[in-house]
Amino acid sequence: MSERLEQRGESVTPDEGRETESRAPALAVDGVSKTFGDGEDAVTAVDDVSFDIESGSIVGLLGPNGAGKTTLIKSILGMVLPDEGTVRLNGIDIRERPRAAYAQVDAMLEGARNDYWRLTVRENLRYFSTVAGVDPDAVANQHQRLLEQLELTDKADTAVRDLSRGMKQKVSLASVLAGGASIVFLDEPTLGLDVESSRTLQTELRRLATEQDITVVLSSHDMDVIETVCDRVLIMSDGTFVADDSVEELLRSTDVYGVRVVSSDFDDDLLSALQNAFEVRSVERLSPGARVEVETEGDGIYELMDWLRTRDVTPERVRTVEPGLEDLFLDLTDRAVQPTGGSLE
Amino acid sequence: MSASQSPAESRRTAGYPKLIKAVLYREYLIFVRYPANAIGGIFISLFFFGVLFFGGQVLSGQALDDSLEGIIVGYFLWTLSLGAYQSISNDIGSEVQWGTLERHIMTPFGFAPVALLKGAAKVVRTFITSVVVLGVMLLLTGTTLALNVLTTVVIATLSVLSVLGLGFAAGGITVLYKRIGNWLNLLQFLFIPLISAPIFEQPLLRILPLAHGSGLLQRAMVDGTRLWQFSAVELATLVAVAFGYLFGGYIIFQYATRRARRLGVLGDY
Repeated sequence: MSERLEQRGESVTPDEGRETESRAPALAVDGVSKTFGDGEDAVTAVDDVSFDIESGSIVGLLGPNGAGKTTLIKSILGMVLPDEGTVRLNGIDIRERPRAAYAQVDAMLEGARNDYWRLTVRENLRYFSTVAGVDPDAVANQHQRLLEQLELTDKADTAVRDLSRGMKQKVSLASVLAGGASIVFLDEPTLGLDVESSRTLQTELRRLATEQDITVVLSSHDMDVIETVCDRVLIMSDGTFVADDSVEELLRSTDVYGVRVVSSDFDDDLLSALQNAFEVRSVERLSPGARVEVETEGDGIYELMDWLRTRDVTPERVRTVEPGLEDLFLDLTDRAVQPTGGSLE
Repeated sequence: MSASQSPAESRRTAGYPKLIKAVLYREYLIFVRYPANAIGGIFISLFFFGVLFFGGQVLSGQALDDSLEGIIVGYFLWTLSLGAYQSISNDIGSEVQWGTLERHIMTPFGFAPVALLKGAAKVVRTFITSVVVLGVMLLLTGTTLALNVLTTVVIATLSVLSVLGLGFAAGGITVLYKRIGNWLNLLQFLFIPLISAPIFEQPLLRILPLAHGSGLLQRAMVDGTRLWQFSAVELATLVAVAFGYLFGGYIIFQYATRRARRLGVLGDY
């Protein structure tokens, strides 16, 4: 099956490739699996993964190192040939019509330059627009707007090699968007960006999804980015999905939360006993006592209060800490990873 | 087209003519904007020729002078081959490292036409620098050659196409095994025996890259034989060897890329 995913001589022009099948999901992945190695050394990086993504949505792909995110993205894009499964981009099967399917998509891959540093910013946009099958002269206005939105106008005629890391990251994104792909994969797009640039990028992604119906698949270790910008989150662990929902629903679904207790009664023995009895996230020494944050779920707060009362600890302040995406992520991936061990990215 | 339209919406597509222009323009920009590589290459080539020429004069005197024209033509072809081979094999390695090979593969055109266009641009670029080297060599040694432009360009280009094929093959091996570029560069020393292969004594050697082309180039540049004065069989052999190795090298590159995708190591530098 994977053999057929390879590019072959199709009688389509880049123009014909820009067609889409109406009402099809932007991305439809069905039963994709990839195993590296043979026999006892075989490692399943992606294990029978299926999902659809609607057009114009931003989907976050999360997972610990080795969960299979990059392999999944590369399998979707054909950079890694999957052992099994089908991938459709705007309804076009990438095996059957790779060139037409590739006209729908572009990607910014982690750890790569993705563009030519010896060319200027504008030259990169023009070049990658052309290889994506879009006449750069016809979209010069869009390129200019892209430069403005990513605050690259002043650097448009500067060679990329002379820009800062954050700027280079922006150029990489701009060159991906320059070709007018309707589905964009971004692997760690905020890596190396300062807070302000990261926010600008998030705003721009949201605008692209809302105004231009561009579908974004975003892989990032930055939970704030995922939480802020994504409509939906897919969490991977050990080659498969352990969660797939909107950020709100995922947060609602978890019972895990933190309880912060401040007491002057805490001493070394009590803190040690507390750590044995509960999942203690943090301890901050005070004089006297301490501030501790305990991870708990459901009615766990009552157990904690009972435990403190039986040891004559009087809480001076108690506060619950709402779970964030990071807590949920750690909870889900810990649970999933522990029984089976790691996998190859 | 309104400012709020996306490039996708505008659907003003770029076909192969635009792709050709874009790839060749990119190569041109890099050549004129960063001339240090080209100039450095010219100086290194001339330095080694100087060592060969003056060292040879000291060691063998008249014997060197008698075969000087042949040596210059051979050295010209060697610099041409070296430039074409290194630029294409190193270029593919760089594309892998930069992640741009992957980006090209996931475009409607694929990497194939881009790679071939880059190869063509490299040959032209190498021709320019090698002609400079040739000119200085002629001045330095006070030698004259029969430089029929059409004959020289056609034969030298066809000779170098076979080396371009070797460059593609080496690029493919780099895609699969990554940091072995330095080892592959050692292959360039193989060009010397190929250029000086005894094709008259051993006609079968004509099927090797460079060997037959080198023989024809010697006759063209030293004896003044014009393109149309070569036999059809000789020209057909030149064309067959050129495109055979080019095509073969490209097939190896495609196979290596496909295997890298299967192993998941395409961009894994």
